[in-house]
Amino acid sequence: MSGDSKFRFVFCCGVVLLGGCSTMGVEPWERDVLAKDEMQLVADPLEAAIDDHIYFSKEASSGGRGFGGGGCGCN
Amino acid sequence: MSRDNNKSIAVSLATASCALLGTTPSSPVSAQEQHTWDFDTALLYYGENDDRVEDISLNVLARRNFLDDRILTLGLTVDSLTGATPIGAIPFDGPQTFTTPSGLQTRTRPANEIPLDDTFLDTRYAISASWQQPFGRMNSISAGLTASGEYDYFHLGGNFEISHDFNKRNSTVSLAFAFARDEIDPVGGAPVPLSRMLDVGDLSNRLGDDNKDVIDIVAGFTQVINRNWLVQVNYSFSDSSGYLNDPYKIVGLVDPVSGDPVPRTPTPGVDGPSHEYLFESRPDGRTKHSLYAQTKVYLGGQVLDASYRFMTDDWDIDSHTVDLHYRWPLGSDSYLEPHLRYYTQTHADFYRPSLDASLPLPAYASADYRLGEFDALTVGLKYGWRTGPGGEWSARLEFYKADGSVPGNLLIGNQGGREIYPDLDAVIAQISYRFGL
Repeated sequence: MSGDSKFRFVFCCGVVLLGGCSTMGVEPWERDVLAKDEMQLVADPLEAAIDDHIYFSKEASSGGRGFGGGGCGCN
Repeated sequence: MSRDNNKSIAVSLATASCALLGTTPSSPVSAQEQHTWDFDTALLYYGENDDRVEDISLNVLARRNFLDDRILTLGLTVDSLTGATPIGAIPFDGPQTFTTPSGLQTRTRPANEIPLDDTFLDTRYAISASWQQPFGRMNSISAGLTASGEYDYFHLGGNFEISHDFNKRNSTVSLAFAFARDEIDPVGGAPVPLSRMLDVGDLSNRLGDDNKDVIDIVAGFTQVINRNWLVQVNYSFSDSSGYLNDPYKIVGLVDPVSGDPVPRTPTPGVDGPSHEYLFESRPDGRTKHSLYAQTKVYLGGQVLDASYRFMTDDWDIDSHTVDLHYRWPLGSDSYLEPHLRYYTQTHADFYRPSLDASLPLPAYASADYRLGEFDALTVGLKYGWRTGPGGEWSARLEFYKADGSVPGNLLIGNQGGREIYPDLDAVIAQISYRFGL
């Protein structure tokens, strides 16, 4: 498969997935559970930031959820 | 009708009203009690085995909620770092002496122990500020600045994000950019890569300060699947260029037969290193790609938070990370949250625990254990309890264990039976308090 064909394949898969998503979800009055603090994607931003910095300092990977993190503290 | 039912209906009506009025943030709306300011504070202790790195960290995150979903977020972190860290040289059955990073003293480490540098003592300050607001009816934008400083390192960065909601706000696409400029001013000056560790007072191979630039791009897609299930997928691109070495890390030259460090001819009357050590050398560019997926599922009061990340880069490092949190309510005001995280990475293509003294030097070499091959496991437990509207205490205790290995083709001479990789055990203890004013 050429690079162009690969891109078209991935693009088409993306369109199909997005089309599928249009049938998912909830009505506005059904968001009571999703509105809870513990259901936010980052439920504890401070703890997430602390963990990101610890693992950034000790491992060769960082980021993913957000940016890779700045500064050093890399001993 | 019970008080809980009343509250549940009130929350449903409030969220529905917000959604219909188009004032919902890009993520699902939060029904927490509204304060002018919300504060997250945390005191963290991080400590490693064998008197290695110890960090006591104070963290504050303040959020000011204005009308119309405009939000100002300010962050402050102060870290106090002490302890020792592996320098990069391998252990053998004799003592080893190193010139300290300043180039003004020597330190001798005992036989059969992984050599550590115990000369660092640092205080790190980090601040951040960001502003988020709606942009049109279905979009949100945010912009922020980050800065951090320690004795030998200064970071300054900016970021910008735009997100768009569609499909009745059940779907969100986002695009974020960040740029950072980091200045590195090592104690004694940045050493010339692959130059030899020299005698005390000889700074002829030190170049002064240097810098690096980092560009990050994150494209994300978030989807509400149903009333209890939410999914996010992110692709991240990161490009670093400039000075990417750790100026304090070295690689030892070793005998091709014994695998032991090669002794150095001492200069009469001057202290200096006992063996031949070279300062590490990394490429001046690195490009990383990450794919990150996260899901949150509400299971009758309990919440599963699961994520997976795959990272690959042009240093030949691939990593996989699985992270699981499970929140377990204990009555209406407290909860337990077990945490399990597994991480594994392959080594960088220039990772070398030591260099064969009989061969020409490679262009790049680093013995930094963080660029080696290892698996790591984190196991933890958090307990949280609410103390009133918007107020919550929590305490967590976690253990982090990293076990590495050196591939056989990177061992030289008789190094096979020795413990060369510096495994790591660490404790993470944290107390947090969240409150609103």
